[in-house]
Amino acid sequence: MTEAPPPKEPNRVIASLARDQVNLDLKTVDLCFLAGLYLRADKAALASFEEDVLIDMFEQICDVVEPGADNPRKRATHAIQRLREQRMLARVDGAGIVRTGDYALTTLAAAVIKYFLTDEALTRESLTLLTATLSAQLAEVLAAAKRSEDTDSWRSKVSGPLRVTVSELVSGIERRQRGLDAQQEEVQGEIAKLLQSDWFSAVDRCQLLLDTTTSTLNELNEILLRDTHHFVALLLEIQGLATEAENSEAEETVQRVIEHVDRIAAWGSARQQAWSEYYQYIHRYLRDVVRLDPDRALSQRLRDQAAAWPTFKFFLLVADASPIRLLRALEARVERPPVARPHTEREADPEWVEPENVHADIEALVTRAIDEGASTLAEVSTRVLPNMPESLHYVAVGRVADAVARLAQVHGEHERAWAPVLSRIEVEDWTVERKDVQ
Amino acid sequence: MSRTSFHTLEEALDDEHYPEVDLALRRGRHIGRDDGTMYEYLVDAQALLEEFYRRFGCELIQQSDGYFYLLPSGDRLGRRQLSAGEMLVGQMLALLYLDPASLQQGGTVSREAPLERLSALLSTDTLVRTIAPRNVRKGKYDERIAAEAVRTKVGDALRRLADLGFVDLLDDTRLRLRPALMRFAEPVRGLGEPGAALERLVRVGEVALDEGEPASEEDSNLDEEPTP
Repeated sequence: MTEAPPPKEPNRVIASLARDQVNLDLKTVDLCFLAGLYLRADKAALASFEEDVLIDMFEQICDVVEPGADNPRKRATHAIQRLREQRMLARVDGAGIVRTGDYALTTLAAAVIKYFLTDEALTRESLTLLTATLSAQLAEVLAAAKRSEDTDSWRSKVSGPLRVTVSELVSGIERRQRGLDAQQEEVQGEIAKLLQSDWFSAVDRCQLLLDTTTSTLNELNEILLRDTHHFVALLLEIQGLATEAENSEAEETVQRVIEHVDRIAAWGSARQQAWSEYYQYIHRYLRDVVRLDPDRALSQRLRDQAAAWPTFKFFLLVADASPIRLLRALEARVERPPVARPHTEREADPEWVEPENVHADIEALVTRAIDEGASTLAEVSTRVLPNMPESLHYVAVGRVADAVARLAQVHGEHERAWAPVLSRIEVEDWTVERKDVQ
Repeated sequence: MSRTSFHTLEEALDDEHYPEVDLALRRGRHIGRDDGTMYEYLVDAQALLEEFYRRFGCELIQQSDGYFYLLPSGDRLGRRQLSAGEMLVGQMLALLYLDPASLQQGGTVSREAPLERLSALLSTDTLVRTIAPRNVRKGKYDERIAAEAVRTKVGDALRRLADLGFVDLLDDTRLRLRPALMRFAEPVRGLGEPGAALERLVRVGEVALDEGEPASEEDSNLDEEPTP
């Protein structure tokens, strides 16, 4: 038995889909080709198709969809490649380039084609059958939950069936609900078309369509309301047992199924509400517009009226009572002081400060260092800098070099070596001689 | 909840719906079946409220299409006439209401639909001169600026018609058509001559024939100079 897969976070799933740049681009001929393969596999119980069969099928489809198209064989090759890239067809043999391959429809292709081929709208019969099966299945799971004593049996007898069988059945109902949604949309389109083409003579047919759909929805909703209530009761009982057994995995699985069932029940009431609004609107339209204007003359007369606007003007009158005027409470006007800062003498008197002779002293210090026998720039700098504050050392070292160059004879190698001065400075060194020595 | 009927005016005015209904009617709103309990209240209290509003010089009108509105006949209660732009947009909305194609979406259409109809029915010149006359200087106008002004004016008209209960604005793109739009088709609803029907409507105070002073808020955004 394997561990239940952790629930996927929507953000992660979406991010990974975006990262993989998934997309589907299926043309009519592609869908027809896939449908042809699907039906053939179904009829002949085929698990896979040889490449020649694929090409034959594509050519047949091409004859129907795009008769007269050039070079169908080449188009088949492109179509197969396109469908493989989109994970609709998978090569299932391992022969590589040794021989032509065998191909099978993927689950993605099967799902897409099923959507177009199967008529899975919810009907009273299908819903009753599904809910009865689901009810029996849940009763079995409940009985198993009562018997389960260890983690393994909870997993195999409760969580597993809930995750697979029950979820499949609930998804089956949901899928058929979507089918019924599509049917309703078709009915709405059909009513509009009927009135567009037949106007007054279409009233009875429209009424029939409305009534049939309404009664179908009512029946389905009744079944859903009754049965979902029963399902939730059973599921809550299973969840209670899981809580007692401290089996969090089963608890979470039951919770997910309960949410799924709630969604199904919510669908019923939401659709009934929406349909009720639509029904009322159409009913009023049939009564107030179509029946009162059996020749459909009003639209034309209204169009003529609007088209003649500059010469046939009129203006509807409507009530327009002015709103009650609320007077504001009396309040003294507040004088806001102008933005200002206090007057003060901002010109400060000059002060006596100590003279700054540091830089002026450099020449004297350099002369003394040279006189005392310093023979390199680094040596002169090392003697001069300690007489100054540390914050000025970096600036002063340049002035020392300048003074040395002016006051003494200096020599530099082509590749001048770096020599340390105190702890934090290095200079490119010169040799220094007193000028009077020469 | 409103009761099925009221025996006295006091009972009718004491109902929880009265203040909301009264304010809406006095502001020119058309209250229809879509308004739920407000409409039911009016149906229940109709006989009493008709007398009540008559004392203010107004008629509480109920139309067979299923809506009520207040029609002032004297000067006691303020009244206004719709602008030319509102009238044209209203007639296009009425056309859409009658069109079975709008049934597919349960009577909802896009906000662009009335302008599409208008531009198919009337020339650009007529539209500009009727809906955005301020953009016309010495008989000329810049087409791009005038088109922008027409779009703005149609949007304004839709908002005002929504305030009056002719349509419901659902979101930024769609609106729902309401039966009160049939007021725009009143002159041509009968089989008789539209001119005669119009005379009757003027007589009962439903419509005016002279273009009145445009509403002040309507003019606020029209002073854009056309480029020479």
